[in-house]
Amino acid sequence: MDSTTSGLDFAVLGHQDSWENISDFINGIRTSNEGELTNEKIKEIFSFIPPRTLFRMKVRSNTGAEIKGTYIETFIEPDKLDSSFLRVNIAKVRNAVSYAKKTKAKIATLGGFTSIVLEGNLDPFSDGETRFTTGNTLTAAFIVKGIEKAARDRNVNLKESSILIVGATGDIGIACTNFLKNKAAKLLLSARNYLRLEKLAVELINDGQQVIYSVNIQDLIPEADIIICVASATGIQLSNLKSGVIICDAGYPKNLETRLEQTKGVHLFHGGMGQIAGGYDLEPDYSGTFYRYAAPHIVHGCILEAIVLAFENRFESYSEGKGKITTDRMEEIYNLSIKHGIDLAPFYNAKGLWSQDQNI
Amino acid sequence: METMKKEFLTVEKFNVISDVFSQAITGELIGMSNFASLAETIEDPNEKMEAVEHANSERMHAKAFMAYAKERGFKININLNGQYWGNVRKQFLSYAHKFDFIACLIIQEVMLETFAISMYTDVGNALGGEAGRLFLRIAEEEREHLEHSSEFLRNELIEDPNAFINKFEEIHFNCMTILSEFSASTDISGHCGVCSGSCMKLSLHHIGLDIVTIRGNALALYAQALDEIGIPGEKSIVWIARLPA
Ligand SMILES: NC(=O)C1=CN([C@@H]2O[C@H](COP(=O)(O)OP(=O)(O)OC[C@H]3O[C@@H](n4cnc5c(N)ncnc54)[C@H](OP(=O)(O)O)[C@@H]3O)[C@@H](O)[C@H]2O)C=CC1
Ligand SMILES: [Fe+2]
Ligand SMILES: [Fe+2]
Repeated sequence: MDSTTSGLDFAVLGHQDSWENISDFINGIRTSNEGELTNEKIKEIFSFIPPRTLFRMKVRSNTGAEIKGTYIETFIEPDKLDSSFLRVNIAKVRNAVSYAKKTKAKIATLGGFTSIVLEGNLDPFSDGETRFTTGNTLTAAFIVKGIEKAARDRNVNLKESSILIVGATGDIGIACTNFLKNKAAKLLLSARNYLRLEKLAVELINDGQQVIYSVNIQDLIPEADIIICVASATGIQLSNLKSGVIICDAGYPKNLETRLEQTKGVHLFHGGMGQIAGGYDLEPDYSGTFYRYAAPHIVHGCILEAIVLAFENRFESYSEGKGKITTDRMEEIYNLSIKHGIDLAPFYNAKGLWSQDQNI
Repeated sequence: METMKKEFLTVEKFNVISDVFSQAITGELIGMSNFASLAETIEDPNEKMEAVEHANSERMHAKAFMAYAKERGFKININLNGQYWGNVRKQFLSYAHKFDFIACLIIQEVMLETFAISMYTDVGNALGGEAGRLFLRIAEEEREHLEHSSEFLRNELIEDPNAFINKFEEIHFNCMTILSEFSASTDISGHCGVCSGSCMKLSLHHIGLDIVTIRGNALALYAQALDEIGIPGEKSIVWIARLPA
């Protein structure tokens, strides 16, 4: 591949979740002489760019180990993540996958939307030296660990709570649902496809879990003490929320703040996120223009999965396919993650870090 | 003889196609002149002959476009000294005068050639028929030129990555800035001096094309060419992001 890719431990394939991000990135690169580009101009060019490395990373473990990685941008347009653009987006992911293989990184994770190709088993990933993972196991682990912690912090007893999972039949949704089985009073499941929902609900009921399911999320919201949103959808609206409800926004893009009918008495955090205690360096260092989180070294769970596996020298497709994530594996990867100083990110949302009496 | 000959061309279509041919012929003549100049920078007799041969192949391309345009009676305007083509030529000559063979190769074979391949392909597919086939055939030949030099440049990079990348970066900003202004959706530095009326960029829809897609595809091919040569992605993204748009 290029002159500097040798010896890469991991690669991350990703996409941006807002044009604002992209504009900050591009205009952050441009000199004052060159001037800023308008969003319109950026949109004219962005989606044509073939996948490529934007920056390299060095990540440090608490054990003292250091690994090298690369971030590969797919150039998927943030406002074109829904199913009507599936074909174009899958083509972009495939190109990025071949690019990643050429970097010879030992493991690559398919961040955010890009995991779709590995979940669907649409592509053969076995050739080449690079192993691919969706990163969904650690993402799911961070989501449920976040829920457990938020509940503890707010004195909410899970055993007495009703937990709504929006996107329950997805890869991450199933993992969260199974993890929470028999840990909550009631599980409320929602997705659009009724049959898949019913099938999942029956399994849980057979295992002794009390379940209510509906394709209409409004049927379930009024009863929910906790809501996990892991649907790959941008148009979800949340109204008639219970006062004191805890919401984990774990989908892409994380924009539920703008979808709430009321904000008072709502405790919303962006879930599935971890924080690296040992920190990392970027080359070139875009952290000034690109980084939007409320605390340092916050990273998506799916990316952290590849990092943890690389620290462990376990270059394997840890998460692949759909519905195969087990609670044991979630615990395993979470514990490995802790070992390397990678734990839950502090709670935050669009307004910043949670404060004492957090309302969104 | 099919499609284009029998097809009745509207005035708008006739004008756009005329301008497209004018641009292609001008570009080929620039390429021909560049290779002729390049031949002077070379000591090795075999390589010198190769450069002349290459100049001849661009001459043949120009000739083929001219012949077709003449047969159809297109309104052709050739101008090697217009705002953009003239400036690219000046850039090329500044390196040729320094006997900088590598720089010349980068300008002609990577920058100009990727734009030619991509744009000819888009135009060829849009026009269809005999004219379309002519564009596609020449695009294919240009692709061979690109591949040939990519391999050569890849080896140059391996020998001294830092020096090579720095040099490439300088040439990128000197030349790709001009090509980006040329292909931007608005004329950033004025009229090209080739199109007959106002710039054809705004009339491309008459032949089913638009400048945003054409420019996007060309930049994409350029980016891939940089990858092929081994320029790291974190460099090429910065180079592309800093271009005028
Ligand atoms: N760390 C992080 O923050 C990470 C976040 N993600 C994000 O998590 C989300 C889920 O990922 P994943 O499980 O892999 O995706 P899947 O495609 O496997 O699952 C999506 C789920 O959402 C449901 N769904 C889709 N649209 C709607 C809708 N409009 N209303 C209700 N339910 C809907 C689907 O069911 P149905 O089609 O029947 O509606 C399905 O249950 C994605 O947005 C992904 O980008 C992924 C990785 C890391
Ligand atoms: Fe040519
Ligand atoms: Fe050529």
